[in-house]
Amino acid sequence: MPDLYLIGTLPGWLVALIGVATAALLLQQFLGLKKRLPVGQCVVLTVLRAVVYMGLIFFLLGPALIDKRVTKLRRPLTLLIDTSQSMAFPASAKTNAADKGIKSRLDLVREKLEAGPNVNDSLIQKLNRDYDLRVIRFGTSLESIAPGSLAGLKPQDPGTRLLELLQQAVRDSAAQSGIVVFSDGIANGDKKTWDSAPLLPVPVFTVGVGDAENFTDVRIAKLSAPEFAFRGREFKLDLTIAASGMKGKSVPLFFNRGKNLVTTRNITIDADLFEQKITLSFTPKDLGTHGFSVSIPAQPGEQIAQNNQKEFKVDVQRDKIRVLTLSGSPAWNYRFLRMAMKQDPLIELISFVFLRTPSDSVDVPESQLSLIPFPIDDIFLEELKNFDVIFFDDFSHRAYFNPVYLERVRDFVRDGGGLAMFGGSRAFDSGGYGESALKEVLPVELDGKGTYQSVGALNAVLTTTGKAHPITRLLPDPKTNEEAWSKMPPLTGLNQVRSARGETLISTSGDGSAGGAPLLTVGRFGKGRTLAFMSDDAWRWNFIAVGNKETPQNHLKLIRQAVRWLAQEPSFEQVQLRPIASAQPGEKIAIKLKVLKDDFTPTRQASVQLRVLSAESEPTLVAASADSDEGEYTGEFIPTKEGTYRVEAEASLAGKVLGKDKTSFTAAFTYGETDDGRPRLDLLKQIAETSKGEYFSINDWNEKTVEKIAAKLESVAPSQIVEQRQTRLWSTLWPFGIILMLLSVEWWMRRKWGLI
Amino acid sequence: MHRRKFIQLIAQGLLGAGLLPKSAFANHPQDKRRLQFVFAQIRYRGGDWNPHPLSVTPLMEELMARTSVEAAAVRHEISLTDRDLFNYPFLYLAGKYEFDPFSAEEIDNLRRFLSYGGFLLIDDALGQQGYGFDKAVRREMQKLFPGNEFKRVPSGHAALRSYYLLRRIGGVRIVSPTLESITLGNSMPVVYCQNNLGGAWERDQVGKWTNTCTPGGEAQRKDAFHLGINLILYAMTENYKDDLIHVPFIRKRLTR
Repeated sequence: MPDLYLIGTLPGWLVALIGVATAALLLQQFLGLKKRLPVGQCVVLTVLRAVVYMGLIFFLLGPALIDKRVTKLRRPLTLLIDTSQSMAFPASAKTNAADKGIKSRLDLVREKLEAGPNVNDSLIQKLNRDYDLRVIRFGTSLESIAPGSLAGLKPQDPGTRLLELLQQAVRDSAAQSGIVVFSDGIANGDKKTWDSAPLLPVPVFTVGVGDAENFTDVRIAKLSAPEFAFRGREFKLDLTIAASGMKGKSVPLFFNRGKNLVTTRNITIDADLFEQKITLSFTPKDLGTHGFSVSIPAQPGEQIAQNNQKEFKVDVQRDKIRVLTLSGSPAWNYRFLRMAMKQDPLIELISFVFLRTPSDSVDVPESQLSLIPFPIDDIFLEELKNFDVIFFDDFSHRAYFNPVYLERVRDFVRDGGGLAMFGGSRAFDSGGYGESALKEVLPVELDGKGTYQSVGALNAVLTTTGKAHPITRLLPDPKTNEEAWSKMPPLTGLNQVRSARGETLISTSGDGSAGGAPLLTVGRFGKGRTLAFMSDDAWRWNFIAVGNKETPQNHLKLIRQAVRWLAQEPSFEQVQLRPIASAQPGEKIAIKLKVLKDDFTPTRQASVQLRVLSAESEPTLVAASADSDEGEYTGEFIPTKEGTYRVEAEASLAGKVLGKDKTSFTAAFTYGETDDGRPRLDLLKQIAETSKGEYFSINDWNEKTVEKIAAKLESVAPSQIVEQRQTRLWSTLWPFGIILMLLSVEWWMRRKWGLI
Repeated sequence: MHRRKFIQLIAQGLLGAGLLPKSAFANHPQDKRRLQFVFAQIRYRGGDWNPHPLSVTPLMEELMARTSVEAAAVRHEISLTDRDLFNYPFLYLAGKYEFDPFSAEEIDNLRRFLSYGGFLLIDDALGQQGYGFDKAVRREMQKLFPGNEFKRVPSGHAALRSYYLLRRIGGVRIVSPTLESITLGNSMPVVYCQNNLGGAWERDQVGKWTNTCTPGGEAQRKDAFHLGINLILYAMTENYKDDLIHVPFIRKRLTR
């Protein structure tokens, strides 16, 4: 039934004025008629005119008939459910993370949404019926799911971009909609606080999961460790231990290198919200990449154990290559050897020159000599391990050494050290090394018969291996390198050896053709490397070259490259693993390495074996294939969990091992989802408040909460559509017809009563 | 009998008594000892390049008797334009009188020699500052290293500790109690002595000292030999005695 409304726009005072004027007009009309007609006829005519006037005044008020029709709508509602990894943490402080049958935060959300007498009458189904319901799980991204598929939800996302994704969900929402967020409030995306967030145009109802007040946890909150350190030099790491709800307890902190304990500390927690900075230190002794960890054992009642440990890796490098040289006497070879090493900032040289032999007499008291006692026990029994390379420069052990010291040198090389022997009348067989522990170590065969000879002119000839070897590769271009070697001044002394056991890089030939006696030979012994230079004349490649107006740099470079090769500098390795950048679990990692043959030319025929090891799982074998003729190989690996992974590579060619290398990398999510599991319910309250929604605890979630949400949504924006149909009476003919008819009746009566 | 041979025989006698390592002299019989050091004396034009012709052999005998250096007993005479100049990284320049200026080639050769590891000992047999040999030396050094003048060698320098801990500078006549030198970077390739070292080293054919050392006598001569040995070892080991491992020992001995 349509309703009558006055929708006129004339002001009331004007209508009233018109009414008063009309009344006055009618009175005047009545008084005028009364003089000519009886009172009854006067009344009839006046009433007729009054009806007409009233009709006209009525129309001035704008009468209209309005017909209303109300349509009720299904309001859009979005349910956002946090499925980040922190939702796997216990929902209540009364449960322990280690307990079986634990109810996680996500379990509780699922339970509350699926609560109801039966599946069809669960809260989630009711919401689905009452609203245009969208259910979205979120962590690092939004993903729509079916309302009936809550059982399949897992706390799997490595981070919670709560604030960013909430804004995205708001943008995607229709008008008059609402959003309900189930979360523990942990936000670790780019935005972590709500302060700078814009006002949301739709109400957001937040449902907090987790118990912030009774939260019990101890964790390693921050860790600052260097990415690389120098061998033999202490490095420090700073960490922050944080704890909640554990006041009065004392917990141990373990600092491990791999599985070996480095040190331990005891931490006394003296506040409910506890935080303490700790500095630990370590002096690495081995080169390479090493994995370290700091950890606190899971404590009774502690809700989260995952954040009790942090792992990191440190690449231990040598600050300097430490070289020990023993020279049998002052000699020009020592002078220029020293020059080459002293000018190289990477080399730290400790040298001993035997200025005097037992047969030399002195003419002054010992106190007037600068000679120091050779600290033989200190060097060979204590300090040998601190050197990288030992040079025996025309030095015979016989006058000074107990054989046990040479055994120490042999063990030093076997364990990875470098040994070089330079020739002269005290070296090789002439120095008695053919019957010493170094016989098996040196890369040349000694038979006790080899002698030292002064010769006229001895030209150095690069062998095929020497042309590519990193020691004798003085210049990058092979041709220029060979030319440089051909210009080297001839040498004048040679130690005869039976044969070369290792790779000969330079041989001698008086007539300039290849195939002479070995002059420079390199080899391996155990983990170490060896070099034999069968002359004491290497200095001539420096100083005589200067006299020939050539550069002395070739000699200096040769010595420095020999030192680096002996010290096993990574750039001089045949198998070189490239550094691997940190990655996230699930992300594909390319493991790249370079493989060189014994002659240091690249090969693509090598058999490469890659093994990836982690602390928790079995080693994984990774296939690697050659990328190019440049000896580059690549294997792929996907880490599944956070942690430090160690990569070991071994390459072989025709059954012979070319070399090994190892490195490590870290897989970690950048969000730090499990670092701090304390629920941030204050953030959820802030979101609800600023969006005109409301905050609820998950424990209060039930049908009444749903009704509250409905009422709130209704108060903000009704969920019905009202249709109105308006008929303006003055826009129809009927009112005018009636007025015309009344005026006609009046006219007819006036005529009948003789007024017209 | 050669002094060194004599000492070896004594030592071998001790060997029998078990006082020295058995293998101390057990080098292969066919091994030929290499001469590690040759004393090369510069021949130049004008003046007197050879004021003490018999000075080197006594020094070399002393060097071999006291140290492990295998040295040639006689000097090698060489000019700065000889092709084999760089075979002899230790050069000795002695004289009494002003000599002719070096040629451009000689200057260039000597500059390269000294800049890349060679060593030059200059010995003034006249000992008159600003006159004769001294005048010529300073003139040529200015041409060699313009702007890099002679400076006094500090008493703690490695050259004065390379074998003997020297407190005095010897020679025939103490014209200067200190040495002068030219340094290039960390090295000291030129050392200049005005005390006539060669005169103090020299013996005549019958083994008598040619010159009397004044005022210190034989002790002053001994200082001259010690300085000669020290400078040879310094040339062959450079700043070896400045290495950290030597410093505490040397400091301890010097403070006794």
